[in-house]
Amino acid sequence: MTDNVFRNEVRAFLAESLTPEIKRAGELMTSVFADFDATMDWHKTLHAKGWLAPDWPQEHGGTGWTLSQRYIFQEECKLANAPALFAMGLQMLGPMLIRYGSAEQKDYYLPRMLSGEDVWCQGYSEPGAGSDLASLITAAVRDGDDYIINGSKIWTSYAQHSNKIFCLVRTSKEGKPQAGISFILVDMDTKGLSVEPIVGLDGTVEQCQVYFDDVRVPAANLVGAENQGWDVAKSLLEFERGGHNFTIDHKKQMAKIDRQASTQLSGDGGLWKDNLVFEAKLADVAVDALALEFTELRVKGAFVAGGNAGALSSLIKVMGTEIGQRFNELSVEIMAEHAFVKQLDALLPGFEGEAIGPSCGLTTMAEYINNRAATIYGGSAEIQRDIIAKRVLHL
Amino acid sequence: MFIEYSEEQNMLRDSAERYLRDNYSFDSRQAAVKQTRGYDADQWQTFAELGWLAMTFKEESDGFGGGALETMILCEQFGKYLVLEPYLESVVLVGGLIEAGAQPAIKEQYLSGLIAGELQGAFAYLEEGGVADPTYVQATAEASANGSEQNSFVLNGKKTVVLNGPEADCFVVSARTGAAADESGSSQGISLFFISSDAPGLTLKNYKTYDGRSASELQLDNVAVTAQALVGELNNGFAIATPVFSRAMVAVCAEAVGAMDALLTATVDYTKQRKQFGQSISGFQVLRHRMVDMFMEIELTRSLLMATAWKLDNNAADAEQCVAALKAKVGKAGRYVSHNAVQLHGGIGTTDEFSVGHYFKRLAVIGAMFGSRDSHLSRYSKLSAELSS
Repeated sequence: MTDNVFRNEVRAFLAESLTPEIKRAGELMTSVFADFDATMDWHKTLHAKGWLAPDWPQEHGGTGWTLSQRYIFQEECKLANAPALFAMGLQMLGPMLIRYGSAEQKDYYLPRMLSGEDVWCQGYSEPGAGSDLASLITAAVRDGDDYIINGSKIWTSYAQHSNKIFCLVRTSKEGKPQAGISFILVDMDTKGLSVEPIVGLDGTVEQCQVYFDDVRVPAANLVGAENQGWDVAKSLLEFERGGHNFTIDHKKQMAKIDRQASTQLSGDGGLWKDNLVFEAKLADVAVDALALEFTELRVKGAFVAGGNAGALSSLIKVMGTEIGQRFNELSVEIMAEHAFVKQLDALLPGFEGEAIGPSCGLTTMAEYINNRAATIYGGSAEIQRDIIAKRVLHL
Repeated sequence: MFIEYSEEQNMLRDSAERYLRDNYSFDSRQAAVKQTRGYDADQWQTFAELGWLAMTFKEESDGFGGGALETMILCEQFGKYLVLEPYLESVVLVGGLIEAGAQPAIKEQYLSGLIAGELQGAFAYLEEGGVADPTYVQATAEASANGSEQNSFVLNGKKTVVLNGPEADCFVVSARTGAAADESGSSQGISLFFISSDAPGLTLKNYKTYDGRSASELQLDNVAVTAQALVGELNNGFAIATPVFSRAMVAVCAEAVGAMDALLTATVDYTKQRKQFGQSISGFQVLRHRMVDMFMEIELTRSLLMATAWKLDNNAADAEQCVAALKAKVGKAGRYVSHNAVQLHGGIGTTDEFSVGHYFKRLAVIGAMFGSRDSHLSRYSKLSAELSS
């Protein structure tokens, strides 16, 4: 099948399967997360079609698509305003279990992940262990056939909607900090586990703090061997970085700016799109976005040839997030005072009232605010630059 | 030109600093945000008692005769403590407009109330589609057909993002009374009107803004006012609005400097105390230099701010040019400082619980208010060209 035939097939599927409600949830995204219910509806639609986990091997539910087809699918989904699926299970834990999990773990967890029965969150960061993740102290102590976990995890995205959490825990204080970390799967219903929501700057809850107070977990829930968790986690971080196509996000942002600049007056007597200063600034960011697009294609080319992204994935993360933030700033500039208006109800897919201000600016401020976190999570911009300094420049 | 504060100005700054430090905690601020009013009425009353609301009005209006410098001194402290009370909206904007252009009867009836903190005002000058341009005015004020003294103008139209609208007892509204000039950005044909919040035909739709304040959409359906309601000249309301906007820009830019100061202090403290990789993160050179750059941005902005306030008070020929320079600089510095304050705080900088993110949101709002960085950069170029020709 040629790529164009495939693209048309994807488009036809999206046209018939994306209900107005699901699509609305995608349009109203102000961070990497969409409305929970709509996202799970879309998850189930894709599961029924067999297109939920294109990156997985076929025997576990993957599609067997080429890399190029997977990219086309991602691109078409985003451009059609499909909500982003929750990545913690499908993009992160899934591939990792396939690589490191036992046969029992794969048989049990992977189908439940695909069906949507299990919703996973990630327990890595701790109040005292962020950029320096290896210094984590949440401890799992062996007790017969179980571990007993005590401690706390923070920045746990959508923990309030999840029924399972995968965690990095300390199982040994010997040797290097990385050498005493294990990877374990925990049922959120377990006694002693509690979730406290963290209100974000836009006034909504995406993050949580998760507390472990003598939480008893079967030792069989360990993924990989005891004290081998760091290697497992490192492979996951590679998935996290390599799994994101910033170019598609940037194209969506540019399309949004185009709608805003074509309808709003700049104060110079014309529309923003006719304002030369603004257009020059937009072009400046667009050129960087274009350079990043070709960098992403280079990385994909390297994958096809059997290589890997290496430290280019750090470059993509730094530049992808920083370019996205610059687009956010341009949007705020166009929307001016209308950007101030806080109307969280109008950002819900089911909202039927009349929103304040032009519809093209509804999400602008929340996106700008929420996207500040993009250069913090998943390895901060500073940490990514350190990685490039060490691995590429050998400094 | 050397900028020095007078003894009175030093006292004003010190007393504002002291009062807010002792009585305006972040926690009590956040509690006020959650109330319907969105600010603390007792605080507002105290501000009035301390003489802050009267500070910049002329002595014949029962004020203390202060100018842009006094506005700057107060607002810098307001920014440092993230003060919510509507000093900008009620005192600088509406108080300024009424003092400059309201008819004696209105002035007598309302100005003392605004100064005493008993009344609140809001300036309704923006419209949907052209919020970046205050001269984009589609609302109309038609001379009433019967020409009777009681109903001299009838206003119709819609105003958007009217800050402090929900609490306002009175509004100053811009409306078109004559045709616009061909030249873009011209304020010809725009007049300002005083409208009491209980005027028949006035409808408000209230909401919160991202910086914890409140605003309204204002609908005018055949709102009838007398000729007494005209504020400033007919067809030339901007003759008084322009200097009031300049003062308002000094106010928000001073607030921005105070907010940036608070962010730098918080960031320096946090990075000293936060340990990763076995050391305080303030020890990492990349973060130290970032904080040094924040410091330099703040101090450059502060210099522009002080000079601009001084020039406005002294009617310097290049005062307006400095206002444009200042607002443009605040756009850039506010982003640099607030983005990096959030970045260096990491996750906690993105939470509602911690003050850093609230300073960031206020700076974002200030940056977008009264014209963006770009519009002020081009205004600066135009004014520079005019001055040198």
